[in-house]
Amino acid sequence: MIVLNEEQVQYILRDLETQGIALEELRFSLLDHICCVLEEELDDPDAFRSHYERVLPRFFKRHLSEIQEETDLLIRFKHYYAMKRTMIISAGITAFTFIAGAFFKIMHWPGASALILLSIITLCFVFLPILFLFKTKETQSTRDRITIAVATVFGIAISLATLFKLMHWPGANMMWISSLGLLFFIFLPLFFFSGIRKPETKLNTIISSVLILVAIGLLFALTQIRNSKWTDYSERNVDLQLMELSHAAQGKTLDTTAVPEHIRSAGIALIERIEDLKKGLILHMNNDEPAELSDLLRDLGKEINHSNAFFFHEGGKAKPEVQQLAKDVKAFHDMLPKDGSNQVMLFNTDKRLRYGEKHEELITWEEEQFSHVTFANALRKLNQLELAVSLYL
Amino acid sequence: MYSSELIKGTLKTIVLKLLSENERMYGYELTHKVKDMTGGKIQLTEGALYPTLHALEDQGILTTEVVNVGNRLRKYYSITPSGRKIASDKVNEYTDFIATMITLLDLKPKLG
Repeated sequence: MIVLNEEQVQYILRDLETQGIALEELRFSLLDHICCVLEEELDDPDAFRSHYERVLPRFFKRHLSEIQEETDLLIRFKHYYAMKRTMIISAGITAFTFIAGAFFKIMHWPGASALILLSIITLCFVFLPILFLFKTKETQSTRDRITIAVATVFGIAISLATLFKLMHWPGANMMWISSLGLLFFIFLPLFFFSGIRKPETKLNTIISSVLILVAIGLLFALTQIRNSKWTDYSERNVDLQLMELSHAAQGKTLDTTAVPEHIRSAGIALIERIEDLKKGLILHMNNDEPAELSDLLRDLGKEINHSNAFFFHEGGKAKPEVQQLAKDVKAFHDMLPKDGSNQVMLFNTDKRLRYGEKHEELITWEEEQFSHVTFANALRKLNQLELAVSLYL
Repeated sequence: MYSSELIKGTLKTIVLKLLSENERMYGYELTHKVKDMTGGKIQLTEGALYPTLHALEDQGILTTEVVNVGNRLRKYYSITPSGRKIASDKVNEYTDFIATMITLLDLKPKLG
């Protein structure tokens, strides 16, 4: 048995560093181990180099740096398996809650928004960040790591933008545009040009890029398609004309004396109540911020959400002011002479069967008029009612 | 020598058991001891040993002491009290596992 000299020890130490053992403590451990093996097996001091070359491969399968990587993995990812499990569970939660949420939304069942919210939050703040950590561990290249980081940020941004869009929260369009900017100007070029360089990833890169473009294009079309300018214009026109008409009708009536005083005053009170509801509805549509009505009407036709939250409580019971409207309409209708020319359908506040439905459940006047009605139509219905009242004053 | 698949998963148990029976040991000593005790049938691979030792140290299961030996440093590993508990749990688990395997594979061990 021989003892390695200082020069030989330093040679091994340098070689270990060159071969990728970055952690100093690990380097010293391996050095001692290799020295022990060499000192035990080496008979001829001159054969040091050649014997070292033969001993070293016992420590790895492909590269010596495997030991460094394995150590990193074990130390940094103490919770490697817990993280992996969390990632898989979060993927399951995201998929399940999203599908359930979408189904609930189609069926108009309560809880749809909560499910979709949970799904996107889990995706953005649990699944994607863990996936990012795992993916960056798999690659050594800085360029690939930047691509993965940008992809993660893009994934989070586009998911949140979709969430904001689905929930009709302010800022959704801005988020969409920013996400698309990130996609087209940073992520896709990075992904495409880094993937296309390597022959083994070339084809997959092209296919993935096209698929990403198609998927985002479809999502964009689904969330962003609008009516043409002229359709918007005609929608707005309907509302403006109806409003003008109802105002004109009220103006006309003020100097008529043929109408009995009690009907006139009840009618005027009813019109005021309707006007109050209209103002409330307009405020509600604009997230409680005052708005120019003509500006608001421009967006009204595109609004597909119904206005239930404005007219009804969570359980489906009409809000007090809506119930009062129904009572006032009934009282006003009862005052009108019953001569057959006053049969206005809109004034009939009796419970009735839902039009065209086969089952026998009766619904109230409030439900008939305002349940599951879009904002635009809710406003139109209020205008019609106002106009109808004005006819009798 | 057994296949690495058989040895995989037993490394931690072997290391902890040896360290709980010896006051302190260094890496080469551990591999040497295992090789001697098993007549060369089990050889710990260095590529798996050192990452495991570092991780166990990081988790506070092992403590280390660095000693200067000639022209290099040697790291001695000792087991902590919490490590002893883990070692005994692991050995018990493994004993149970072997008993189960004997039943499962219908082996008839020579007793005595």
